[in-house]
Amino acid sequence: MTRPDPLARLNLDDHELVSRRSFFAIGTDDLERLAALRPFAEQHTDAIIDAFYEMLLAHPETRKFFPDETSVRRVKRVQRDYFLGLFGGVCDRAYAENRARVGATHEHIAMAPKWYLGAYRRYLELLHERLYAHFADPAEANLAYQSAQKLVFFDMSIAIDTYISANIDAIRRHQAAIRELSTPVIRVHDRVLLLPLVGTVDSGRAHQIMETVLTRVTDEQAKVIILDIAGVPVVDTKVAQHLLQTTAAVKLVGARTILTGISAQVARTIVQLGVDISAMDTVSRLQDGIELALAHVGKAITAKGA
Amino acid sequence: MSVAKGSIPILRVGPNLLVTVHIDLHDVVAEAFQEDVLTELEKRRAPGLVIDISGLDIVDTYVARILSETGRMARLMGTETVVVGMRPDVAATLIRMGYAMEGVNTALNVDDGIETLAGIAAGKKTA
Repeated sequence: MTRPDPLARLNLDDHELVSRRSFFAIGTDDLERLAALRPFAEQHTDAIIDAFYEMLLAHPETRKFFPDETSVRRVKRVQRDYFLGLFGGVCDRAYAENRARVGATHEHIAMAPKWYLGAYRRYLELLHERLYAHFADPAEANLAYQSAQKLVFFDMSIAIDTYISANIDAIRRHQAAIRELSTPVIRVHDRVLLLPLVGTVDSGRAHQIMETVLTRVTDEQAKVIILDIAGVPVVDTKVAQHLLQTTAAVKLVGARTILTGISAQVARTIVQLGVDISAMDTVSRLQDGIELALAHVGKAITAKGA
Repeated sequence: MSVAKGSIPILRVGPNLLVTVHIDLHDVVAEAFQEDVLTELEKRRAPGLVIDISGLDIVDTYVARILSETGRMARLMGTETVVVGMRPDVAATLIRMGYAMEGVNTALNVDDGIETLAGIAAGKKTA
């Protein structure tokens, strides 16, 4: 399966970029200040990155992400580009997309946000020390630090968004899988289908049931579909209404519905609630439903030798 | 609209008539369609009419009403109507709008529709 594009999911269009930049108070003065510090950044990058990985490799949980020397060398190279990117003087769409990619990479290797955010603290600490050493005037150091901090927080916001959207994607995939599993339409015989319903039927699921039933009935040109509700714990007015609607829709496409698996409890509720389901063919047992369905397609089950 | 009249072909299949609707039925076209069908029924005295709507992506309540009305009018003239080939999404939409087209015979396809007509005819004879 192809992984969905993390950038497309974030919807990082120009409007979003402007809005985010303004909220993080990133002005052109900040970007210019950082661009002017590029020589400073180049001078300190190796030391900062070494110190940064020293911390990551010292902690047992984060060390796991860097199994060998080669991987450490590789991530250090990537980190160097990242770090210098802070002093590029731009915060445009390409920049934001690059940051989203960084977030997607961390999500991909399953590095939890806590490690990611914790590591950033160290990053800022290292930067802070060096900026205050670099500028004679602490006010100037403070300004530079503020600018860097804005951009770092901006980066973090994008990375966290990538984490969240990746998780939402995963949830969507799971929901789709559950939906598919919740309406397992089975072909019992030529032009006879069976849908055993198990579990609670809410309106979302009822919607899904109707769509699936109609599509399968027309795809397979089934004359009859049996809905077995033996596994549905509660059949209230709403559920009965949904079943009636499905029956009516199935009739419109030219097929019929047989409802089976009605327990004593369900029969009692339906009558007590005053729901009229006389429009549906109902039988108590699935076996009877199958026999009735076969009769509709001109078939019958007979005893051997009879 | 002059294209309307006769724009939906009406074919003979055995004793029955078959109408295949493949252009959107709206206002003028729908009324012309109804008139064409009824005129043809009057001429042919067919026992059954199959209306195939598998070519229709959109069927609103207006069209659904025209279809079921045509069926009821045909019945008055001694012809049973079967609407066939309704698409799943069309059926779902009509039901959600509370339009179940009660009293209209339906079938999955033209073959089934003709079979349904034969069943109804046999039922009438025995009755």
